[in-house]
Amino acid sequence: MTIRNLCLVFGMLALSAGASLAGVEVGQPAPDFGLPDTKGGTHQLSQYKGKWVVLEWYNPDCPFVRKHYGSGNMQALQKEFTAKGVIWLSIDSSAPGQEGNYPADKLNEIASSQGSARTALLLDPDGKVGHEYGAKTTPDMYIINPEGNLVYEGAIDSKPSTALADIKTATNYVKIALDSSLSGKSFSQTVTRPYGCSVKYAQ
Amino acid sequence: MNALFAIRKLVLYCATVAPRPVSLGLAMTLLTASMVIPGRAQVVDGRQLVKAQLVADTQHIEPGQKFRLGVLYTIVPKWHIYWKYAGDAGIPTQIDWQLPPGFRADALQWPLPTRDQEPGGLEVFDYNEEVLLFTEVQAPDQLPTGPIELAAKSNWLVCERECVPGDAQLSLTLNGGGQGPANQDIFSKYSASLPKAVSPAGYSLSMKPSGSQMVVEFAGVPQGSRLDFFPVPPENVVLNHGKQAGNSVVLSVDGGAALERLKGVAVVQVNGKTDAFDVELQTSGHAAANAGGVSADLLGVLQAVAFALVGGLILNVMPCVLPVISLKIFGFVSEAGERPDKAFRLALVFSAGIMSCFAVLAAIVTFFRAVGAEVGWGFQFQDYRFVLVIACLVFAFALNLFGVFELTVSARATGGLAKLAAGGGYGGAFFQGTFATILATPCTAPFLGTASAFAFTQPAWATFLIFFSIGIGMALPYLLLAIQPKWLRYLPKPGSWMVRLKQVLGFLLLATLLWLNWIVGRLRGVDGMVELGGLLLIIGILAWIKGSFWTPVSSGRSRALAALAMVAVLGISIGSYFFVTAPSKIPWQAFSQQSLDKALQSGRPIFVDFTADWCLTCKANERFALDSAAVRGAFTQQQVVVLRADWTHGDPEITQILKEHGRAGVPMYLFYPGGKDRPPVVLPELISPQTVLDAMKASSQTVVDARKAS
Repeated sequence: MTIRNLCLVFGMLALSAGASLAGVEVGQPAPDFGLPDTKGGTHQLSQYKGKWVVLEWYNPDCPFVRKHYGSGNMQALQKEFTAKGVIWLSIDSSAPGQEGNYPADKLNEIASSQGSARTALLLDPDGKVGHEYGAKTTPDMYIINPEGNLVYEGAIDSKPSTALADIKTATNYVKIALDSSLSGKSFSQTVTRPYGCSVKYAQ
Repeated sequence: MNALFAIRKLVLYCATVAPRPVSLGLAMTLLTASMVIPGRAQVVDGRQLVKAQLVADTQHIEPGQKFRLGVLYTIVPKWHIYWKYAGDAGIPTQIDWQLPPGFRADALQWPLPTRDQEPGGLEVFDYNEEVLLFTEVQAPDQLPTGPIELAAKSNWLVCERECVPGDAQLSLTLNGGGQGPANQDIFSKYSASLPKAVSPAGYSLSMKPSGSQMVVEFAGVPQGSRLDFFPVPPENVVLNHGKQAGNSVVLSVDGGAALERLKGVAVVQVNGKTDAFDVELQTSGHAAANAGGVSADLLGVLQAVAFALVGGLILNVMPCVLPVISLKIFGFVSEAGERPDKAFRLALVFSAGIMSCFAVLAAIVTFFRAVGAEVGWGFQFQDYRFVLVIACLVFAFALNLFGVFELTVSARATGGLAKLAAGGGYGGAFFQGTFATILATPCTAPFLGTASAFAFTQPAWATFLIFFSIGIGMALPYLLLAIQPKWLRYLPKPGSWMVRLKQVLGFLLLATLLWLNWIVGRLRGVDGMVELGGLLLIIGILAWIKGSFWTPVSSGRSRALAALAMVAVLGISIGSYFFVTAPSKIPWQAFSQQSLDKALQSGRPIFVDFTADWCLTCKANERFALDSAAVRGAFTQQQVVVLRADWTHGDPEITQILKEHGRAGVPMYLFYPGGKDRPPVVLPELISPQTVLDAMKASSQTVVDARKAS
């Protein structure tokens, strides 16, 4: 009995020590980070205290990301909410040599051809911020409130597929969360299961 | 290479998303080329990533019969498609059956997937190289003549370092003239790797939350088993990777979502054998094996009932119960000699005692399971207090057998009591039945393990039924005697041999006590065992007083004195227990040369207590002298640094200091009056509060004198 419990405790300790996906929790402060963007600037999360912030894990070559950019769905969300003062940070955590890792110029080119309306596209090639947030998929969405606490993490919508047609019939969790938050209402889906390609971290 | 890479990207892009104007022309060409293969082509580097093929296990469908239909996926090396729960990334493979009217497809069967790592510590559940996802199809009673076309649409995501979605529209024509089975090798290969619907006998799983973690515990699995758990979490619950930790698999739940239910596949690998089985876990109870419907459960219950009956019968000869049961037989013998009809009724009452005890056990199990606690066979022995009570009863029983005291009904008893007395040992027989049962619980007899393990996973009615069956099995010999009292004749006649046998049985009970003492030791350590010893001593004294001075023939005065003595013994015992175990109110710090040096530098007076757990004098001194109000007050007032040097395990540093002061052992008490150069005062071995106070006073006096002198 005792020995079994002891094993369990040690197992858990080993797990928490060895867990590479640290992750964040809704209701808790979102960890601060500083990352360069594709245009030569740097962004510190803490500089956006007082504003709503969206983090969007991004990989231009992932079919799930392409579903939401190809349909214009993601750009429309970015446009709508950045116009309302929301800071929209897309983060590319693809490691060098992996799918979705491009030089900044190339990413800017893709962004302008896609007509993205994000605040900035941040580069996280060593995956440090991705791991800190426990980002698993592209897209993987996080919403941070003006106090700096995480209020939403998970999928962009309710239909895990690459089919464009699903966007129309899906429930867009991010839109609901942002609409509710900006109008001071609460919302129920604060954690959902993200879907997509795995984030292309270093081998 | 770069150009090739770019073209590949473009193909992927065009294959998945509505073509953008820039690449429209090229895309159209590529798309036309790939139209040859149904669905999205998924040609990367000239390889088709996934080939999907609709297959059946027969060439000819018979009316009203079942057959198996599946999609066989052939995947290029290193790429994978996903299980019904994909893990951290990816999406489950999907099949939509398109069957002619009247055909009914069952749920999709998923062979056991592999747990694969992706870069960055991501983990997915997937299939590599080849897999068959299949189902059972029920054909209608009326079939059209001629060929029958079956179809299915499948979507999947195939990933390696990148992910490519794919789909296919598949079809298969049966009843085209061919007869007999088909694709037997494929279907038998993948049927064998399906998780079983029921858990293997003896294994059970439970789940309990622990912070943001979910602990899935495996019970009954052999030591050294490799365990795994593939969860199928409810929608929007994010589970992190399961890791084996002892007999458990620990999953962490993102967002701390409390899971009440969790389906999944449990895997136990031991001695080269892999058991995979479906389970549905609930936080408020044990795994309900995902058996196929009521009939299978009912069959399980019936089997468990049979096992329970046999197991209960065997319990009678297990070492935990044998002494008590023998006692009972013995009781029957003496009764039968006088009044056979009474023996008959006694046997009935004894059986009733057994049964009622099992009813109580079943009720407790049901109750605890309802509130979410974990219980198993013999669960009550996990509480040491329970074991203490049982041990005391066993000891009292033994003393009774040795003849130290007799249990007699008071002659002055009136009314109901008198009736009970007249009825003889009915109450006793009932009690002995329950007592035998309680003692029986820690003894798992053959057959019983299987039956009770099953009972713990079942709904309340089945739990009761199985427990009752154990009870009936255990009571069977006595019930037989009750039904056929004539058989009592075959039992030996009463005589003086009974006294000797009683004593022998008494020793058997003492042996039982040895085992109970060991349990207490395991649960509470040495202190618990000593507590038990103390309790037994008290019971011994009480029993002796009872047997010697409170017999049916002793005078009223003798009885009154006996009662008084018993109360006194109890009072003294309880008082001294609390006195001895009360923690010291002095804020002792652990002694070391370092802590002493530090204290010396502070200039404050120091008192060092050199002690050991096994030193009775030390304990007495601490209780009566050091922990007295006067000494504690003096310590506080003079801001004495109090150090305790524990020599229980023979610390060489402490041995050295003892030697320096000419002592070979503990106790030793040193008082440093304060100031670096003042030598310590050595107090005598036996101290009283006054000795300590005097020593402190005298030495501070010398300090004052010394200061005056200097």
